[in-house]
Amino acid sequence: MSEERKRTQVADVDRSLYDFTKSEEGYERYDDGLTPEIVRAISAKKDEPEWMLEMRLRALELYHARPMAENWGPSIAGLDLDHISTYVSPKTKQAKSWDDVPADIKDTFERLGIPEAERESLAGVGAQYDSEIVYHNMREEVAEQGVIYTTIEDALHDPQWEPVVHEYFGTLIPPTDHKFAALHYAVWSGGSFVYVPAGVTLPYPLQSYFRLNAAGAGQFEHTLIIVEPGADLHFIEGCSAPKYYEANLHAGAVELFVKDGARLRYSTIENWSKNMYNLNTKRATIGADSKMEWVSGSFGSHVSYLYPTTIMAGDRSTCEFTGITFAGATQDLDTGCKVIMNGADTTASVSTKSISKDGGVNTFRSSVVIGRHADRARCSVSCQSLMLDDISRSDTIPAMDVRNATAQVGHEATIGRISDDTVLYLMSRGCSEAEARTLVVNGFANPVSKELPMEYAVEMNNLIKLEMEGAIG
Amino acid sequence: MADMDLAPEAGAVPEVTLERVNVAPAQTWNRLRTNDITLTVPAHSRKGDVYFSLPRLFEGVECGMGREVTDWAESQAAGARYVEVPRDERREEPIVVRVGAGDVADTGVMVRAGAEATIVVTTGDLTKVTGSSVRFPQDSSDEKNLTDDPVTFVRSGTSASLMRIIAEAGARVHLHEYVGVGAGQQHLESVGITCGRDARVDVHQYLLGGGTVALGLACELAGERARVDLGCRYHAGDTEVLDINEIVRQRGRDTRSELSYNGVLEDAAKKSLRTTIDLVHGAKGAQGNEAETVLVLGDDVVNKTLPTILCDEDDVAGNHGATIGSVSPEQLAFLASRGLSREDAEQLFVQALYEDALMHAPCPEARAVVEAGAGSLLDEEA
Repeated sequence: MSEERKRTQVADVDRSLYDFTKSEEGYERYDDGLTPEIVRAISAKKDEPEWMLEMRLRALELYHARPMAENWGPSIAGLDLDHISTYVSPKTKQAKSWDDVPADIKDTFERLGIPEAERESLAGVGAQYDSEIVYHNMREEVAEQGVIYTTIEDALHDPQWEPVVHEYFGTLIPPTDHKFAALHYAVWSGGSFVYVPAGVTLPYPLQSYFRLNAAGAGQFEHTLIIVEPGADLHFIEGCSAPKYYEANLHAGAVELFVKDGARLRYSTIENWSKNMYNLNTKRATIGADSKMEWVSGSFGSHVSYLYPTTIMAGDRSTCEFTGITFAGATQDLDTGCKVIMNGADTTASVSTKSISKDGGVNTFRSSVVIGRHADRARCSVSCQSLMLDDISRSDTIPAMDVRNATAQVGHEATIGRISDDTVLYLMSRGCSEAEARTLVVNGFANPVSKELPMEYAVEMNNLIKLEMEGAIG
Repeated sequence: MADMDLAPEAGAVPEVTLERVNVAPAQTWNRLRTNDITLTVPAHSRKGDVYFSLPRLFEGVECGMGREVTDWAESQAAGARYVEVPRDERREEPIVVRVGAGDVADTGVMVRAGAEATIVVTTGDLTKVTGSSVRFPQDSSDEKNLTDDPVTFVRSGTSASLMRIIAEAGARVHLHEYVGVGAGQQHLESVGITCGRDARVDVHQYLLGGGTVALGLACELAGERARVDLGCRYHAGDTEVLDINEIVRQRGRDTRSELSYNGVLEDAAKKSLRTTIDLVHGAKGAQGNEAETVLVLGDDVVNKTLPTILCDEDDVAGNHGATIGSVSPEQLAFLASRGLSREDAEQLFVQALYEDALMHAPCPEARAVVEAGAGSLLDEEA
């Protein structure tokens, strides 16, 4: 590449960390498409209770009956469920030791740094490969506190936890919520079940990592977390996939129940490959005096629909949402959040950043709804977007619905580019133009990266550095 | 347009439902019910009438309430009124469009290059101003009126104004809109503006009540350095519904938009405000700023806001800020120290809005609308 070309064109991202594939030979792979037979087969494979099968079949009907909204959101015309396998499983059982995980899968997670992170700073790890969890483990001292961290499937087979799953599963995000929520409930597989007893504080985070290796496949994990009164949990979710030239689909669901006085921090770094349709749904309901913190980084996927939702049901509860989205070539990322404030004296703070370059499309979409009974509710929303070239696009579509006279809402949004003055100033201090721009972008993203776990913050900064290499805007 | 009642009962006014009115250019979740509104309006047959339409140039002007309302208003107005301000002429006398109860007006104003004009649209039942000394002067004679009176009586209770403005290069336009109709009335006000190079438009909107008031404005800044400054002040109480959709499309380089909204909502009023600043590809150097302040004074108020910025260009700046809330405890404490109760303090904000409207009223018709809406709020000296 000539120097001139390098200077005027943003280098493609070095995704070698994520862009490696393993053979699917010997894997169990269901036919492409979506039929009642496939749904029954998944259910039978998991030996589920009857109520779960009924729920799956009802959800399948809803999926077929429900149209996709046509007046908003990025196009998903390239997604054809008739060419997606909804269940792909490696021939292995769930292990509690990395030594028992098949070599190629273990190699995958080692390259992603999961075992190392587990040793250094995690209270427990779950690793999902395609449709099934292949590794799950938690530190003994955490288990001794009564914390449950397992798969939904295992919880369903445990007489103590099956009624709990039955009570909560699908209640916060019902199958009727939207078309891809219905799809999720029809074919869900894998994910995590976390139960933190009242008053228990986990010293380290739990982490689930989702890796989709198979081409033309979907991943539909379900995460169900219950944090009892006064408890405290930090949960980390990571996800990645190698790039293929056919569409992959991720339609997970995350249901979070944060009881009175509890705190939950939910951190996510989503780094799906750029052939991925990421149609994920995340929702939390929080009780009185509780706190919900979302930290979200979206870097990958071809199309994303992602809006973590917090229902602030209890008085004096607090919600913080901190997010960053980086859209490059071929990416159309529609992300944001929803906050529903129903309790009195609740406080919500939303801060998002987005960076668009190389033809990428970013849309920040949010809604803040303050209900009639949310006396003295306070909410602030800040959305900042950075445009790095003139072939990219960035839209902000924040909706507010205020129904209480004592509530206070503040909102600000800015869209712009790196000013020439700033670049000139940094260059006068010895930076090259590329370094100056990278410095500005890193500074722009810093308020978000400092909220991430260290390894993810480093990963994010590296990604930004790679994205910015050679870019002069 | 849909659901036309083709066989109404004898004597009943036929109606039509406009399904998608005030549609936000960028849509969001439908369950929020904030993307648009649906309105039912009278639909008189005008078969056999001779209709004088605007020059075809105006067909390309996008109006804020959308195509359905444009088609409906054209179908209900007796004829269009076309006003042209010649090149480099500064027109002293305002172009006044009076819309009474049941009226539908269709107006096109061409402001030629370098010309300047003031346009006033007033909507209100002016007969309510008993003893008022206001007079209503006739519009000046250099207008190319295609009809003498561009209104038609539709159903008492629904009025509408369709205003399309073309501001050529270097033109200056001052648009004033005053709306104050009765509690049982519905008013639709759709405005479309196209600005050429260096054209400058300032818009002053005072929305002072009405059963349902729906207002849409679309402004295309097509030429380089074109600029729009829009200030909207509104007051809604009781069970009034106020629906606003304002779109600025910045296509020209170095264009500028400044949008400011300031309103008071009382009782069980419902307000939706959709604003869109569209920074179109190629609009290098464009800037769009929007700010909103809403004072919520009623326990049953519903206040919806959808402030959108669409950005397809890097060398631009788009900003939005909103503050929604009640009178702060600090403000109340200060005013209490001056002997004002909470109610007095809140009324002060409402009163200030009407006084501002009165102060800036450019013609007697506008003053009359403010006085009718304000009732006893304005003191004698205002």
